[in-house]
This record gives sequence, structure tokens and C-alpha cells, in this order.
Amino acid sequence: MAEVDKQTPVPAGDTDEQVEKSLYAKAAKIYPREVHGLFARLRVMGVLSLLGIYYITPWLRWEGHQALLLDLPARKFHIFFITLWPQDFIYLAALLIIAGLLLFFVTAIAGRIWCGYACPQTVWTEAFLWIERKVEGDRSKQQKLDAQAMNARKFRLKATKQILWIAFAGWTGFTFVGYFTPIMELGQRLVTFELGPWETFWVIFYGFATYGNAGFMREQVCKYMCPYARFQSAMFDRDTLIVSYIPERGEPRGSRKRSDDPRLLGLGDCIDCTLCVQVCPTGIDIRNGLQYECIACSACIDACDDVMEKMGYEKGLIKYTTENTMHGSTSHIIRPRIVIYAAIMLAIMSLFAWSFSQRVSLGLDVIRDRNQLYRETDTGLIENVYILKVLNMDDTAHRYKLAVSGIPGMEMRMDLPEIRVESGDVLELPVRLQVDEDELKARSSEVEFTLVADDDPTLSATESARFLGPR
Amino acid sequence: MAQQQIPKTQKCIAVLWPSFLVAIVATGLFFSAFDPADLYPFGKDTEISRLGIYSIGFLFFWLISTISGIGTLYFAITNCMRQNTESQGQ
Repeated sequence: MAEVDKQTPVPAGDTDEQVEKSLYAKAAKIYPREVHGLFARLRVMGVLSLLGIYYITPWLRWEGHQALLLDLPARKFHIFFITLWPQDFIYLAALLIIAGLLLFFVTAIAGRIWCGYACPQTVWTEAFLWIERKVEGDRSKQQKLDAQAMNARKFRLKATKQILWIAFAGWTGFTFVGYFTPIMELGQRLVTFELGPWETFWVIFYGFATYGNAGFMREQVCKYMCPYARFQSAMFDRDTLIVSYIPERGEPRGSRKRSDDPRLLGLGDCIDCTLCVQVCPTGIDIRNGLQYECIACSACIDACDDVMEKMGYEKGLIKYTTENTMHGSTSHIIRPRIVIYAAIMLAIMSLFAWSFSQRVSLGLDVIRDRNQLYRETDTGLIENVYILKVLNMDDTAHRYKLAVSGIPGMEMRMDLPEIRVESGDVLELPVRLQVDEDELKARSSEVEFTLVADDDPTLSATESARFLGPR
Repeated sequence: MAQQQIPKTQKCIAVLWPSFLVAIVATGLFFSAFDPADLYPFGKDTEISRLGIYSIGFLFFWLISTISGIGTLYFAITNCMRQNTESQGQ
């Protein structure tokens, strides 16, 4: 936050020491008040569509298999028409890098929009808050209920909430495991109580994590556990969109009647109703300036706009703005930081697309027989033994031709009449290479195996190996 | 920051959470490179399913990085305490 803090009005006394203290203070429970308005509607839309995607995706089918299945037991990732193998690990890594850069890019332009609308922590917290409100009532009712000693009504409400929470969390855990093991069969095993021990473990583990994070930890995850919250300020500059209170307009704050003229009372537009504090899911006062706890959910904007409207004042006392706009300069969307993020992102994306289009659905590994370096045949030739692993990653079966090069006059002996591999299968193929000793220039020479599909010459793979001899 | 100022929960989170993230990465990297079916721990062929091996691997990585995290936390705190006592002594 350092960069932005310097430029934002921070009330006296809000020193590093205080920030540090608040970081490690015992957290009091926050009861965010329900809020209505433009941004609340946007967030509900975001939450519903993301939850929908999460819970529905594993049930989608594609050509007879689960459309998105990261099949860990089979070591294959099915993503609609693409099948990825452990060899394709690099593509997943590249995807993660692209996602990271996209986050940087969006952060530099629009600030912590990810935190406020799309982060799973926000999404599930919203869902859990919604359940809590449906059962226990709004903020003030919840506070009253928590202040009461245990009674029949309190017990009933708390138990209902817990049951709903646990059921929802359990379903979340089940869905999570459904991404890694076929969800249809998982569902059947669930209802017949035949889940495997590790499946059960992960359903409970992920369910428990959801329950704990969205039901109890909530904003503390953002404050104490989220790495992005700590480093996002590095992407910020004076043109980044932030949620900010306009102190010049609001101060001095104070309560007044609707009919009063604030200018005559010497007051700014802030009526000090503290609604912006009550709706804040992280429990901060946005009027103290930009704080790193702020997840830019803009609940305070909705709340304040509502009040401004009721008071007959102009909206936007708290609004999306930039440091530059606040200080009277113009804001630019296109600036070096944005261009650099975009350029790196586009470069990696094109590299990814190009390399993915060049991906050959054939894998070849050559393993030298480790038991003996070489042996001499009856006819006086030097022989090396290799195991070739042929992996057909295509969706149809293929027949392949194997060729070898590197040493003149080299002979290849195979025990199999043909190399035919079913789709998704691995064939282990023992191969012997025989060479006249006179042809060997050194103790170790390089040989190269080339495998080509009979019906498709673009399906080819080359792998080199060492040939060892006496010399 | 002296030891008594950090609540226990915070310490647990500071150790368990980063090591959890590291364990995910380590599990992903390790099992992309090695198929559990090819592994013979201590020369024995296990009869645990792949999912089981992945899970055990993950928990193992988590344990290892947790131990390392506890070490880091311990040294950081004791160093701070020693510096505090030294500065008080002067």
C-alpha cells in the first residue's frame, strides 16, 4: 500500500505501528449490513454466475465423457475436446502465468475489482452471508441474537443456519472432488455410502475449508492470508481505479436535519450516518482514506449514494475514482505500465497458442536397458537394448513406423510385428540395435529414434539416446 | 514484535497457510514428473490407489513445509526477543 498511502489523506495517528497492531489484534465479528444498489446488483450477478459455473460445470458432458475432468487417477486432463497428459504440464503452467498477468493488467486499470466481485472468498462469503440473513435476519437482528443468552429461539436459528451452511459446504466439497474424479460415479457412490477413503477425505477437507473460510474467517482471509492483498498495491499507480471518499466535499462531517443548509452550519456533505462503515465487509471506515483492507466491493458507494439521494445531495461522495482525478489532473487508461503488462501478456498468449497448435499427439521416450552396458552377439556385433515407450495422445488408434540413425550400418531388431497403439495407450517396445564394432568412433555414440504414424506424417516424434560400445 | 503480541491463531495461520500453498505447488510439480504407479517407496510395491498416493504426497509435502515454517517462525521470534533484550540492556 506504501505507494498509494503517501498520496492519500491519512488521518493523523494512523501510523505503521497502529497498522501493525490492528493486523495482529483479536478480530471482533463484523456484521455487514445488507446493501442495495447498482454495485450490489453487479456483485450478486457475478456471484450467481460464478457459483453457477462452479456447481454445473462438472455435470456437463462432451462426446460421452465429462466435459471438464482433471482425471487425477488416470493422469489425464479432459477439457472439452482437448486431452492433456502429464507431458503437457508446461501448457498448464503457461495458462497460470497468463492468468496471473491478466490479474496484474486488470489490477493496474481497475484496482481490486477481482477482490470485490470475482474472488472465491468473496463469492462464497456472499453466499454464506445470504443464508445467515435469511435465517437470522438483518444486521441489527443478528447483533441482538448474538448478545442474547442461549434460549430455544436462538438455538433453533443457530442450528438451522449451521445445518444449511454445512449442507452447502458439503455440496461444495463434493463438487470439488467431482472435478478430479468422474462426478456421476462419485454421486452414485455417495448415495450408496461407497465413497473411497480419500474421496471422503477430500470432500470433507474442501467442505470444511469452505465452511471455515466463508462462514467464520471471512474478511480475515483477505487481511491475513491473501498474498494478492499484500502485493496488489505494487500494480497501483495514480491512474488506477479506487473506491474513495471525497474529503473536500464531505468534511467537516456532522449530523443535521434534511431541511438544514449544511453551508450555514459550516458542514460538508457527510452526515456521519456511518452506513458506509456498517455495510463494509472488512469493517473499515473508507473516510479514513484508502486502506489495504479495502477489497473495493463498493458496498459503501451504494450505501452512501442512497443517503445522498435521500438528503437531496449530489451522489458520489464515495465513488470510483483515481488519485489523479481526485487531485484535479486527468486520468489516462493507456500508460507505460498498462502497455508493458499487455505486451508481455499478448506475447505469452501468442507463444502459447502457437506452441499448442504445434503440439503433436504422440509421445516417445527411450530408456536404455540399465542392466548391461552392451553385449556381443553370436555374429560378433555390438548390441544395445532399449525400451521405447510410445504414447498415443490422439483420439484414434495409429500404426507407426520406427527408424533409427546415427551410426552407419546399424541394424534394428524388434520383437513385435507392428507398432500399433490404441488411443490413450502406452506401448512398451523393446528394441535392440546392432552395430559392427569397427563403425564405433567412441565408447558412447548418439543414436536417434524417429517414429512416424503410417496414416499421418505430421504425427511424428524424435528422441535421441546413447549407444555404448567397448571402444 | 515480541512473541506475546502475536496471537496463537495468527502464528498457526502464518505457518500452515503458506506451507499449504507450497505443498499444492510441490505436489503438482512432483506428480507431473512421476507417476505414482512407477514409484516403489522403500523398494516395495504399494497397493494404494493413485488418488491415495497423491493425497499422501500432498499431506507429506504439507508436513515438510510446515516443519520448515515452524523453524522460520521460531528463529524470527527468538531473534526479535534477543534483540529486544540486548537493546534494553544498553
